[in-house]
Amino acid sequence: MFLAYTIAGLLTLFVYSFLYKDNPFYRLAEHLVVGVSLGFGFVYSFQQIFIPFCWNPLMEGHYDVLIPALIGLMWWPRFIPKWAWLSRYPIALTMGFFSGFSIPNTIQASILVQVQHTMLNFAGTSPYGGSQALYIFNQIVIFIGVFSVLIYFYFSKPHKGALGHISKIGIWYLMIGFGATFGFTVMGRISLLIGRLQFIITDWLQIVH
Amino acid sequence: MKTTIPLIIVLVGGIIGIIFQFIPHEFVQTINDEILNYFRVLSFFALPLGIVSILMVHTGKIRRKAQHWQYSIILILTIFFMIVTGFVFGTDRFDPRLANYGWNTIFMFMFQQVQIPIESTMFSLLAFYISTAAYRAFRARSKEATILLVASLIVMLGQVSVGQMIPIIGDYIPVISNWIMSNPNMAAKRGILLGVALGMLGTSLKIILGIERAYLGRA
Amino acid sequence: MLAVDKPNDKGDQINVMWPPVKEKIRIDFLQIFQKNKSKENLLIENLADKISGKEKDDNILYYDLFRKNLGTGKMEYINRFQSFITNYRDQRQSFKDTKNKLEGYKKMLREQPTYKYYIRAISPLYYSKVTESKPAKMQGQWFNMEKIIALIAMMVITASLFYFIRKAKSDASLYIRPLAGLKEIDNAVGRATEMGRPILFVPGLSSIADIATIAGLNILAGVAKKAAEYDTPLFVPLRDYVVLPIAQEIVKSAYSEVGRPDAYKEQSVFFVSPSQFAYVAGVAGLMAREKPATNFFMGMFWAESLILTEKGNEEGCIQIAGSDAETQLPFFITTCDFTLIGEELYAASAYISKDPLLVGSIKAQDLDKLFIIGCIILGTLLTTLAELLTYPALNFFKMLFPVQ
Repeated sequence: MFLAYTIAGLLTLFVYSFLYKDNPFYRLAEHLVVGVSLGFGFVYSFQQIFIPFCWNPLMEGHYDVLIPALIGLMWWPRFIPKWAWLSRYPIALTMGFFSGFSIPNTIQASILVQVQHTMLNFAGTSPYGGSQALYIFNQIVIFIGVFSVLIYFYFSKPHKGALGHISKIGIWYLMIGFGATFGFTVMGRISLLIGRLQFIITDWLQIVH
Repeated sequence: MKTTIPLIIVLVGGIIGIIFQFIPHEFVQTINDEILNYFRVLSFFALPLGIVSILMVHTGKIRRKAQHWQYSIILILTIFFMIVTGFVFGTDRFDPRLANYGWNTIFMFMFQQVQIPIESTMFSLLAFYISTAAYRAFRARSKEATILLVASLIVMLGQVSVGQMIPIIGDYIPVISNWIMSNPNMAAKRGILLGVALGMLGTSLKIILGIERAYLGRA
Repeated sequence: MLAVDKPNDKGDQINVMWPPVKEKIRIDFLQIFQKNKSKENLLIENLADKISGKEKDDNILYYDLFRKNLGTGKMEYINRFQSFITNYRDQRQSFKDTKNKLEGYKKMLREQPTYKYYIRAISPLYYSKVTESKPAKMQGQWFNMEKIIALIAMMVITASLFYFIRKAKSDASLYIRPLAGLKEIDNAVGRATEMGRPILFVPGLSSIADIATIAGLNILAGVAKKAAEYDTPLFVPLRDYVVLPIAQEIVKSAYSEVGRPDAYKEQSVFFVSPSQFAYVAGVAGLMAREKPATNFFMGMFWAESLILTEKGNEEGCIQIAGSDAETQLPFFITTCDFTLIGEELYAASAYISKDPLLVGSIKAQDLDKLFIIGCIILGTLLTTLAELLTYPALNFFKMLFPVQ
């Protein structure tokens, strides 16, 4: 176990050395991780994708999987300039299908549902209790926010005059939102560092138990 | 043959993709799932391109004796080492000699003691970079940067118990932080989301209709 | 008892509801016995005096639900439910689970998945009478009515796109306001050329199924063309191997479009690693050693965004980012020189290419945006009025839209 932890621990220190500057230790760790992850990814994809979705069905007599397999082979002539255009077929198939596939869900989840949630009730009461005045105030804050941010993304007219003022409010909202996300993330990132330090101190070097 | 047929494929594929989302019937949904499986197979065949690509970059470096070319040898050897050990010793085959060390095969050892620690350490670099990023925002001194900084400070303090120890305002910080998260922050997110959705729809439709075809090469 | 086909589904579910059983029972006598060792029943307590003749609510403990497949005639026990549960969504096994899908589908059609449901209440004292439902058939629908508004919205969006594309064909002078980040692309490429240092372009870390990746690749097309014109080396490291051939195709044709197909190097668009932070390690190392003058980050990013951009800052690169990942935008904004926020990323390819058709599509998106704002204002107005006038019918407009 100590050997394993020593390897992991040294590699951890190698990566941290990068904070100072690029150096042979980091370069070693970098090339190792790229190589390992690529090899791992290949074997893993082979076992998790090729075997269950291509090889097994084929062995069970479902020859229909030959269709995607043959189209998939069309990626390969990329290296022969004369035949390189063949790879446009799988590209076109992938781009076309996934573009279409995303459309209805984008409309449903990212537009219609969001529009529904923004049809606010300026005379309502909070379903969770609390002061009605505050609830209505919050509803107005949200309404102005969504409206002004959408205006900020309006490209057809220069942001001058009234449009300029509204889009300015939109920018403020965006900055508050980004700030909130920023602040919300900080603690999580620091705990990552604490996790690594814990590994070095407790698991590897066993200074503290 | 080189442009027209791909454009027809895009159009037909796109329309099929759309239609399938509106038909819940099991017959269609089964075909849909089957197509998604087909795409898994189709994509898998592009994986060797990735490997060849990285091999080309690094054999090139070795041949040119470019700066730090020695590391390219390590990288190439590691790739093959992983692929060979993965296929020969298996990804989960149990090896009693190695089991005492908490791992089963040399393949999994490489994953757990090389890839995982390096990757999680890379991830943890964020703890340093998030502070330099905060410093950058602090230095920017524009009105927008100040708004961002204040909002992030309030939300950050709202998350830790230290925030509540600040005299007078301490008790209010979690309240204000929550208010920011669920009101102006949510409004901004929703505005972004609506805009992004329109952008995505525009891009998808342009691709399906063959207006946007940079990916096929415009020439 | 009610059993009805679940609407708008693929045809493998039935909604079953039963009324709660509330019966008054009259208890005449109640005696409690215990078996002794020789298995004789011994009376321990006689409660007859205390409760006999009184009426009380029976305590229902459980419901037992059964179903009968009218196709095969098979009776099945479904489950036992706590007394407060009075509905259940019954689901049959998917024919996809069968080995031969076509056979499974035929079998399902043959067996006619029509079911009759039976419910029985259980109290500590007795089993209630069995109630049965009318037969219900599991039927798949050929159109999801819950998505009808989505269909209409899609038609509106497509129509607006067609309208503006037609308009753009006849009128090439459609106005769109300049975006700060995009004007800088030219300068940024020029700067790299002056310094004799390369350009780094990351089209996000997501797959091609993510439209943000496609948007990033469209911008790559423009950047690659500029790089080819100025003869500035370009690095495009990739995480997704399906994106690889597409990105190569884009960069290659950008070079041949400006008449320099020979200058294109296949190795400039390369794969790094499918694993997120291994990719970051590789790209961060690349920045440290190749010293790009300009970094572009366009597409979908996760936590790695800040590592990439801060590394870029350390190396003194000019950085232009664009993403629709709202969780990463704060980091791009604080660490990059210019950031395309959300929709701006998608609009960018129109700006760069100045193709009138693409500009027309932005106009169409703006029209859709006004439409959305209109819907929000109208919906808010009607909802508020419905509350003020206590006239709930005004909520109809809001109710047209899906909640989730």
